[in-house]
Amino acid sequence: MNIVVCMKETPSTTAEKSFSPDMRLERRKEDAIPNPFDEYAIEEGLRQQEKHAGSTVTILCMGPATATDTVRKALAMGGDRGVLVSDDALAGSDAISTAHVLAAALKKIGFDLVIFGNAAADAYGGIVPSATAELLGAPLLSYASKLDVDGSTATIERQADIGYNTVAAPMPTLVSVVKAINEPRYPSMKGIMASKKKPLDTFALADLGIDPATVGAAGAREKALSAEKVSTQRKGEIFIGNEGAADRVVAFLVEQKVL
Amino acid sequence: MFFRLSDEQREIQHAVRDFAQHEIAPHAERWDEESYFPRELFRPLAEMGLAGLLVSEELGGTGLSRLTGAVIYEEIGKADMSTAVWLSVHNMVTGLIAKFGDDEQRQRWTPRMAGGEMLGAFALSEAHAGSDAANLRATATRDGDSYVLNGTKFWVTSAGVADVYVAFLRTSDDGARGTTAFIIEKDTPGFSIGKRERKMGLHSSPTGELIFERCRVPLANRLGAEGEGLKIALSSLDGGRINIGAIATGVAQAALDVSTRYAQERTAFGRAIGGFEGIQFMLADMAMKVEAGRLLVYQAAFKMDEGDPVGQYAAMAKCFATDSAMAVTTDAVQVLGGAGYVRDWPVERYMRDVKVAQIFEGTSQIQRLVIARALLGDAAKER
Ligand SMILES: Cc1cc2nc3c(=O)[nH]c(=O)nc-3n(C[C@H](O)[C@H](O)[C@H](O)COP(=O)(O)OP(=O)(O)OC[C@H]3O[C@@H](n4cnc5c(N)ncnc54)[C@H](O)[C@@H]3O)c2cc1C
Repeated sequence: MNIVVCMKETPSTTAEKSFSPDMRLERRKEDAIPNPFDEYAIEEGLRQQEKHAGSTVTILCMGPATATDTVRKALAMGGDRGVLVSDDALAGSDAISTAHVLAAALKKIGFDLVIFGNAAADAYGGIVPSATAELLGAPLLSYASKLDVDGSTATIERQADIGYNTVAAPMPTLVSVVKAINEPRYPSMKGIMASKKKPLDTFALADLGIDPATVGAAGAREKALSAEKVSTQRKGEIFIGNEGAADRVVAFLVEQKVL
Repeated sequence: MFFRLSDEQREIQHAVRDFAQHEIAPHAERWDEESYFPRELFRPLAEMGLAGLLVSEELGGTGLSRLTGAVIYEEIGKADMSTAVWLSVHNMVTGLIAKFGDDEQRQRWTPRMAGGEMLGAFALSEAHAGSDAANLRATATRDGDSYVLNGTKFWVTSAGVADVYVAFLRTSDDGARGTTAFIIEKDTPGFSIGKRERKMGLHSSPTGELIFERCRVPLANRLGAEGEGLKIALSSLDGGRINIGAIATGVAQAALDVSTRYAQERTAFGRAIGGFEGIQFMLADMAMKVEAGRLLVYQAAFKMDEGDPVGQYAAMAKCFATDSAMAVTTDAVQVLGGAGYVRDWPVERYMRDVKVAQIFEGTSQIQRLVIARALLGDAAKER
């Protein structure tokens, strides 16, 4: 089985965020890490590879030229090779452009199973998996908390308000995963050393036959207008009294869907 | 001159930090409180490749450099000193078997030790022989194709929880050449575990006695030749000292981190305590000590990797980094005030734990002796 995991390079969640005058997130190489949500996708790819002998795992990333380091970080967890799509014309790409590029790269690489994290920790768009599937004309099994591949069918469980839904699709298919699906492994010392020697190809737009005018800032349909710091305010609610307080706490928790 | 870890070393540092901060640090307080030895950590540590640091890949290890090892131990020490100590002892013992064992011994033990199945321990010290390690009394007597062991070992890290013990026993009265090393598995008849020490700190790393009573060990369990024991024990000394220096640096860094955050947040007399010069200077001194200790440790590790004579540099690194860590953790308690003295904050544990770093693997006095002898040559010898 040819497994491809799509991985975005994002700034570390603790890094100070700043924006350029044209409202692009400024990305510093030192802060770059594999998108934390994609670690679950990588882990799932590796587990499927372990279950299905003879499978290969490719890490696919669209990002700046320096993202090779981030792809190698992902390869330290495991996987056979990396593919980075990088081109100056891609700077400022929106989600739809990204999907176009990933779809073209996936066609070039070939795939049976493509796994995404369900969003990226920088913009939280969460559109790329479905847009890529649409452009490829392939099914998407989204928000998977469990994945089984059996012959030519992939089956997922998707968490619902109560219990979960079971959804299946014929292969080749795309899957996006949520954190509940697994516990990503820590890269081993051997994995880190081996990652330096794994093949890593870099594609430019020309390699994928994409017109630079349709992607990047030039082709962007999304435009960021402003950014503000989120201020989180904790509002505490205190239930006082010996009588009825417990019931009110329970009612509150039920209302919040915690219980 | 390079003052920068390689990309690979920084990635390893990052991966080990991630593991240590998520899988070790959150539990360290409870493990200390309950004197609980977290055996369940051993397998995941081995899966990451941290249980065979000094063993080649063919034998299931990772064969990393001493400098990379120092980076790793610092990160684990930062999360929990106890874990770092038993892991470093295990790695040392696994390394000794890989280095001095014959093929059969290597195949028999190292892959399982590096793989996280069998934990190793090191038994040199005796009740009356700590610093004076050549003065051993426990004996091994040759009897046909086996040896019979008698006597007691003291202060053994991982006594009772380890599976494989490398112990040093007297085989003749011939001073330095009278000691021989043996590999002893836990269930060997005649071998038992004595009392477990109740310690000031390092609670989740058990320390205890080994008792040998007419314990028969086959010749196949002798490590190295008869009389080579002290040489084998001493061969691990420099590396062990560098590791303890690295661990102490990690503990000191953790203490500095907590103190710095506390000084930014805690207010007194209407301002953050970090605004008071008395606190600022304490933090500045702490930071200098941590950095200087780390540099000495890195330098000694680097020299060892280069194959340079490293004795006095390992001694300097160990002595300075552990003395510094003791001072830094003590000051950390001071910066936190009352909070520093209670167990809700980790700094009192850091202080209790790190004290022993000035004692084992050669006390701070012994390290100074090593340094002075290197400086003075014959003039330092006793008459
Ligand atoms: C928690 C813990 C774990 C340990 N783990 C192990 C282990 O796994 N395996 C093992 O074999 N041992 C282990 N040890 C033992 C440890 O290595 C010894 O305690 C250490 O070597 C010191 O020896 P000692 O306790 O006999 O002190 P002593 O040698 O009696 O020293 C007492 C004091 O005298 C000083 N002193 C001694 N000689 C000189 C000198 N020539 N000049 C100046 N001052 C001197 C010392 O510095 C010290 O201040 C452990 C100890 C502890 C506390």
